Amino acid sequence: MAAAQSTRRRAIILLVLTSIILITLDLQNSSATSGLRSVFGVIFRPVESTTRVVTRPISNAWFGIFNYNDVLDENERLREKVAQQEGATVAAAASVRLAQELLALNGLPTLAGINAVTAQVIGDSPTNFSQTIEINQGSQSGIRVGMPVLNAAGLVGKITKVYGDRSVVMLITDPDFALSIKVVNSPRQTTTTTIAKSNAAVPSPVVPIEPDASLEGDASTTTTTTTTTTTIAGFTPSVTTLPATPSGVSSITVPLASDLAIRETGVIEGRGPSRQPTVRFISNAVRFGDIQAGVPIVTAGGSRSLSPPDILVGTVSRVVERLGSAGPVLEIEPVADLTNLSFLRVLLYQPITEKATP
Amino acid sequence: MIRFLTIMSSRWTRLVLVMLIVLSLQTTLFAELRPFGVAAQVVLLFVIVSGSINGVAIGSITGLIAGLMYDFILPTPVGLASLAMGLAGATAGLLLYFFHEPTWWMRLITVAIVSILGEIYFPLAQAIVGFDGWLQPRIFKVAIVVAACNLILAPLAIVVCRWTLAERKLSI
Repeated sequence: MAAAQSTRRRAIILLVLTSIILITLDLQNSSATSGLRSVFGVIFRPVESTTRVVTRPISNAWFGIFNYNDVLDENERLREKVAQQEGATVAAAASVRLAQELLALNGLPTLAGINAVTAQVIGDSPTNFSQTIEINQGSQSGIRVGMPVLNAAGLVGKITKVYGDRSVVMLITDPDFALSIKVVNSPRQTTTTTIAKSNAAVPSPVVPIEPDASLEGDASTTTTTTTTTTTIAGFTPSVTTLPATPSGVSSITVPLASDLAIRETGVIEGRGPSRQPTVRFISNAVRFGDIQAGVPIVTAGGSRSLSPPDILVGTVSRVVERLGSAGPVLEIEPVADLTNLSFLRVLLYQPITEKATP
Repeated sequence: MIRFLTIMSSRWTRLVLVMLIVLSLQTTLFAELRPFGVAAQVVLLFVIVSGSINGVAIGSITGLIAGLMYDFILPTPVGLASLAMGLAGATAGLLLYFFHEPTWWMRLITVAIVSILGEIYFPLAQAIVGFDGWLQPRIFKVAIVVAACNLILAPLAIVVCRWTLAERKLSI
């Protein structure tokens, strides 16, 4: 009895000490633990691949039994969505091309100028306490830790571990995920002032312009038009020019500076699969105005950010106001469907501060 | 040569080899089939069953080995799963401490209860080392679904675990 008790005690001491030593070593980024991981990976991957092939019929049968109706419904929904979006895609592609040309002309970074690697998702996280996926491209394709991962919709996550021919992607819903972002807010009302003049001289915009009695009967006429239009949240409304008056006068439209989209930076943080990610550290500036649901969130970029600017992350789904000078906390609906990922794009982007000096 | 054969035929070598298969099932089949959005934890089940059959010492060492292998494929720090699994194995081993010859239903109840506890140990260990985002109400749903899955798979796990951890004498 005493011997058994002593064995039990020794086993538990061995367990606790070994675990603590391993945790300490790994948190100190010890090369021993990363070496062990790599060696184990080499042994384990062939076994895993074989098991994947053997168990594929079982998982197919499972999905066939439990997901067949859902897949049919989803297929129908998607067909309808594709039909709706076909027209919009052409217009959007033209806008994106124009924007990229403008950015390139001004020497600003664009996503088009960053090389990317296409990868396939080959595995989900085996635990319930880690929001990661595995992809079939690794360091051999130029992937490094920290690189952003996208799908067709937007940002999905970032690379957290890289092996020769595979990598682990931490999804934006993982509680350990954090990234600097921009909230692109825009006023709900768009006011444009139209000034029409008959002479060729370029007029200076005057806002607002009161009708002046002294100008009556003069060849030069000034008209002030205020229009309110519904805008797509986050996008600068296009400037519309009213047609020239019948008398042949030319017209220009001047958007008010306050109508332009305002950007404020913050940090997006994951909160697990059952809760939406949040954005914190948004300043409570009056100029920024009220943030409405639906406002887009894009990556902030910058020399220290792991991601280039202007990758779409999601839209604001809820705004939680806080007391005092603390800015609001925003709940974000990611644009990418993280539950159904198959093909992804890894941007081979590293900020200047991360690039190794030659 | 005899020494090598002795090592190769020991239950611990068998455990490592069986765990490789169990782990590969965990990362493929059970990572994909997610009843109610929760992945069944067959590695945890194996550890709990080994504890409930062989006691605290064997349970905790099995947990340590299985957890260590699990650690090597998880993005979390190495040692976390070993600690959580080892504790789960030791907790399951307490069954033999209280009942010397437990009946089959006692074993099943142990599997269910320790599955719930074992599934809570891991985020708790994560929180201790600073990864504290996983202690959420969802943990209870996860623990209950994992316990239910483990109950269903327990009879098969008991057979495999008995075979794996049986002491056999090498006859040459």
